[in-house]
Amino acid sequence: MMRTFRGGLLIGLAVAVLVAVLAIIYEFYDTRTLKRTVRRGEVLCGVNKGLPGFSIPDDKGNWTGFDVDFCRAVAAAIFNDPGKAKFVPLDANERFKELQSRKVDILSRNTTWSMARELDYDLYFPAVAYYDGVGFMVPRTRNKETSLDLTDSKVCVQSGTTTTLNVADYFRVNNMKYEEVKFDKLDDVVKAYDTGKCDTLSADVSQLYALRLNLSKPGDHMILPDMISKEPLAPVVRQRDDDWMMIVKWTLYAMINAEELGVTSENIDEALKSKKPEVMRLVGTEGRYGEQLGLTKDWAARIIRHVGNYGEMYDRNIGEKSKLKIPRGMNQLWNAGGVQYAPPMR
Amino acid sequence: MTDFRRLTGMFVAAIGLILSAPQAFAQQPDRGDEPGLIADDGYQLDPEWQKQVVYFRTTEPPGTIIVSTAERHLYLVQPGGRAIRYGIGVGRDGFQWQGLVTITNKKEWPDWTPPPEMIQRQPYLPRFMAGGPGNPLGARAMYLGTTVYRIHGTNRPDTIGTKVSSGCFRLVNNDVADLYDRVPVGTKVVIRQKPEL
Repeated sequence: MMRTFRGGLLIGLAVAVLVAVLAIIYEFYDTRTLKRTVRRGEVLCGVNKGLPGFSIPDDKGNWTGFDVDFCRAVAAAIFNDPGKAKFVPLDANERFKELQSRKVDILSRNTTWSMARELDYDLYFPAVAYYDGVGFMVPRTRNKETSLDLTDSKVCVQSGTTTTLNVADYFRVNNMKYEEVKFDKLDDVVKAYDTGKCDTLSADVSQLYALRLNLSKPGDHMILPDMISKEPLAPVVRQRDDDWMMIVKWTLYAMINAEELGVTSENIDEALKSKKPEVMRLVGTEGRYGEQLGLTKDWAARIIRHVGNYGEMYDRNIGEKSKLKIPRGMNQLWNAGGVQYAPPMR
Repeated sequence: MTDFRRLTGMFVAAIGLILSAPQAFAQQPDRGDEPGLIADDGYQLDPEWQKQVVYFRTTEPPGTIIVSTAERHLYLVQPGGRAIRYGIGVGRDGFQWQGLVTITNKKEWPDWTPPPEMIQRQPYLPRFMAGGPGNPLGARAMYLGTTVYRIHGTNRPDTIGTKVSSGCFRLVNNDVADLYDRVPVGTKVVIRQKPEL
């Protein structure tokens, strides 16, 4: 009788130990990114190795840029500390694999959202951070107002890029003749344009503003306001991790909504006292959206305090307050001439 | 006797001027209105404030003027999802407004009669000033509805991009002349302010 009781006790103990071990293993291999991030104490961000305005390290290893700041915003939402973002430079061809293999928690690396990429790599692009597209740079003296004025032009492009395909489509659709002047290296493309070997240079608009800085007389050249292709740049996360995807998505939307509501890093303390319902829901003085995200009530206030709203992030890195000076264009808010539009927070 | 009276009068006026000038100056340090200053036509605006064609999506028809006080930009809507954007100077804090008005009158090299409220705030301003290069209204003025506000030029191009005015919108003279030629009386003007918390 006694024996059986002892045996039962032992079996019970063994089961308990097994459960505990399994729980520890499960916890360790938990695939939920938020949990892993919190346990690690930092967000791992896959970024471009060096793209002025978007992500670039200085000689001391301090990163700056639009993509970098977005990742800091995610870290601010979780940890109330933008310094808890760690940057992992990734090549274009390795970026999706590195995200899949959990080397990073999020890609914030000027990556174009496309259907094929979501399907092929099992990834998810939560929201568009920057609307880019192929455009044209021309000398100001040519007096061109639209890319439809570019008929019979010599167009400098980098070979092997999607730009060449987009340019070909655009000129064919509009029944315009053109001559393609191709180079393998981007530096050669710029040099050819700068020395007048072509009438216009074509690349992604964000890139054109960066390339213009390297011309002998940047002020003599302008970028036409048209975009002839769609290159929506977006952060990327893994599929089947909805909690994490929601955090990344609403971090961006909180920043866009903050700009629309006039909440900035400078007036955030004032905003926390606001009695306007939309502002109260954003900064967390009303509702518990932050807690439903697995964060705190003031998650969005943390983002705005440490990183700013969408417009502040834009101006500082790529807009009027930066070297690049890219006009807001399509990235202006929907009610101010652009298409940046965030669903309401309610 | 008349001479003596006139002299005394002039003396009193001179003393008054001497006493009032520094006081007025202390009350209203440089507000961006400098009657008599000839505009520096060679002044180079920052790229942000230079006239340029930009992407602009709106439901307002081409020809509409949209003023964004917060951005310090004036947009003239064009066909095809674009606008001509000009840099402007706007009202200082407390002197900004929003609304929908039309252009009711247009004047070249307008005269300037500062409204009474403005005189009260800035007593050192002249009561009337004939149009010309030294006039703070600059080369052109477009009247906004029945308000005292105008879209006008300036003799202070360095104030473009700032919040200085009493509610008017100022452009550099070249830009205001360019806009003037593009918009007729009756043009719809939408003035937008930044949202309040």
